[in-house]
Amino acid sequence: MSKNKSLSVLTNGILKENPVLVLILGTCPTLATTTKVTDALGMGLAALVVLLCSNVFISLLRKIIPETMRIPCYIVIIAGFVTIVKMLIQAFLPDLYSSLGVYLDLITVNCIILGRAEMFAGKNSVAASALDGIGMGTGFTLALFAMATVREVFGAASFAGISIPFMEAYKIEFLSKAPGGLLVYGLLIALVYAVTKGKAPHKVSFSCAGCDHRDTCKIETCSKKEAQA
Amino acid sequence: MKKNIKNLSVFVCICTVITLLLAVTNSITAPIIEKNQNASANAALLEVMPNGSGFETVDKSSYTLPATVTEVWKETSGGGYVVKLVTSGYGSDMVIMCGVGADGVVTGAKCISSNETLGKEKTYGESFAGKDSAAVDATDIISGATKTTEAYKNAVKDALNTAIILGGGDVDIRTEEQILQDNLTAALPTGEGTFEKLFLVEDIDVSDSIYVATNGAGYVFVIGDTFIGVDADGTILADGVENAEAITAAVALIQSTTLEEIDLSAYPDLQKTVVSAKKTSTGNFVIETKGAGYGIKGGDEYHPASGEYIIVRVSINPDGKIIDCLTVYEAETDGLGDACASESFYGQFDGKTEENYTEIDAISKATMTTKGYIQAIERAFAAFNILNGGEQ
Repeated sequence: MSKNKSLSVLTNGILKENPVLVLILGTCPTLATTTKVTDALGMGLAALVVLLCSNVFISLLRKIIPETMRIPCYIVIIAGFVTIVKMLIQAFLPDLYSSLGVYLDLITVNCIILGRAEMFAGKNSVAASALDGIGMGTGFTLALFAMATVREVFGAASFAGISIPFMEAYKIEFLSKAPGGLLVYGLLIALVYAVTKGKAPHKVSFSCAGCDHRDTCKIETCSKKEAQA
Repeated sequence: MKKNIKNLSVFVCICTVITLLLAVTNSITAPIIEKNQNASANAALLEVMPNGSGFETVDKSSYTLPATVTEVWKETSGGGYVVKLVTSGYGSDMVIMCGVGADGVVTGAKCISSNETLGKEKTYGESFAGKDSAAVDATDIISGATKTTEAYKNAVKDALNTAIILGGGDVDIRTEEQILQDNLTAALPTGEGTFEKLFLVEDIDVSDSIYVATNGAGYVFVIGDTFIGVDADGTILADGVENAEAITAAVALIQSTTLEEIDLSAYPDLQKTVVSAKKTSTGNFVIETKGAGYGIKGGDEYHPASGEYIIVRVSINPDGKIIDCLTVYEAETDGLGDACASESFYGQFDGKTEENYTEIDAISKATMTTKGYIQAIERAFAAFNILNGGEQ
């Protein structure tokens, strides 16, 4: 893998293919854990660790895992790493554990992780998968951090639990609630779209044309013409 | 088939590796997690027993403890017990943690959750620290939060009793009502354990209160701590009773007192508010009135369609003093307004007159119920004034 390609794999997840703001994956934990910056960072880092470990493990076993059994295998591996991360957080960061609650367990079914296993780790080398895990995890964490910053500062007049007294009179409590979360989410998506001038995502990567199985796929809608285009 | 077996074995291998990883992580984290959980549980216990070094749960099923006790912990170095109690204040539950030292002294008490309105229970627990059973008894209840603080005080007493029981001692943990009924039954066994406070005649000077057996077996006169049973014929069951004559006379008075139903059709003004009115041969009035309960718009008028009202029976003596008060019917909210049916609420009206009947402790979180109740009493006085020959 060339140095340039490694770098692009690593940076892809941060903005161009940001899992939350561009691919719109993992919406549920994004909305649920972004009322506080500390929770968002905790959630982001937990997902990053799971993503990195599962990507490496799946990539390592990609030639052994049978094609027909890949989804159950991925789920077992992901669930295993989620449980490990959960036990570690419960032991060493009990406060974070209690504030993340059920969303920690739900990392197992987070689309980002299964998505990366399916889209990337199952087809690429261990090193590239590790970089992809770090990149996507960082992108997820940064997106959560940005959203939580907006929601906590403007919605609760505090940052990472430290209150900002001069914001107290201007806080918009609506932002801390679920509808406020959706609004901020939408605005951030729009912002990313504007910054990338609408070029992200690289459509080819996420349509049938970008699929590695396009040649063997039996779904008629998979347009081989599109692939050739 | 061969392919399937291969697939399955790969899957099983992956599962095994993951399980091993989980087992290793668990062996590292489990003791730390347990320590964390104990530490956070102990933090709550240490608040009421600051000198405690460690706590272990006591299996309370092997002891007969007061009904309010939900959990008990023992201080591991023998420093005493911490008791968790759930008691009801005025309509809602209060959860109280109380520490009792090995010397039978309260080490601390704290209300950890409650919906009581006055909020005084939050700091009331501090007044018990360092007190023994007698000193707890002597602790003042807070005026304006009588029910709440009384329940709190009783909970602390229950905690002290729990410590005695767990230490191998023997204490009476019956409720006041149980003790009363037990004493009444002991005085008049034929009453079969069901007694009611005598309602219809003014308390007779000979005793503090009189109870009547609901099966008609007789009466029990309570004079201080003494319970004297009298059967329906007026025969005193106890020996050597000092004022036997007065008691016999009282029984005769009770039995000779008759009730005369008053025809309300002669009083059109009262028909909306009064359910029934009776006059005793001793000149007392027994009046049942309606009050608007919760859910009645404006709270002014009894609303026959909604069915939500309160019926109160009040007996008033010729001087205009309430002899007794009883809730006959209520359809108020469970756990809130239904507290109006408890003796601790309606008993507050005993001895009140038209001048001071509003000076009672309201039911917490049931303002409309309290207002409706007071309205019913007000109507009883209004009816009394008319029926007693006065002007409305």
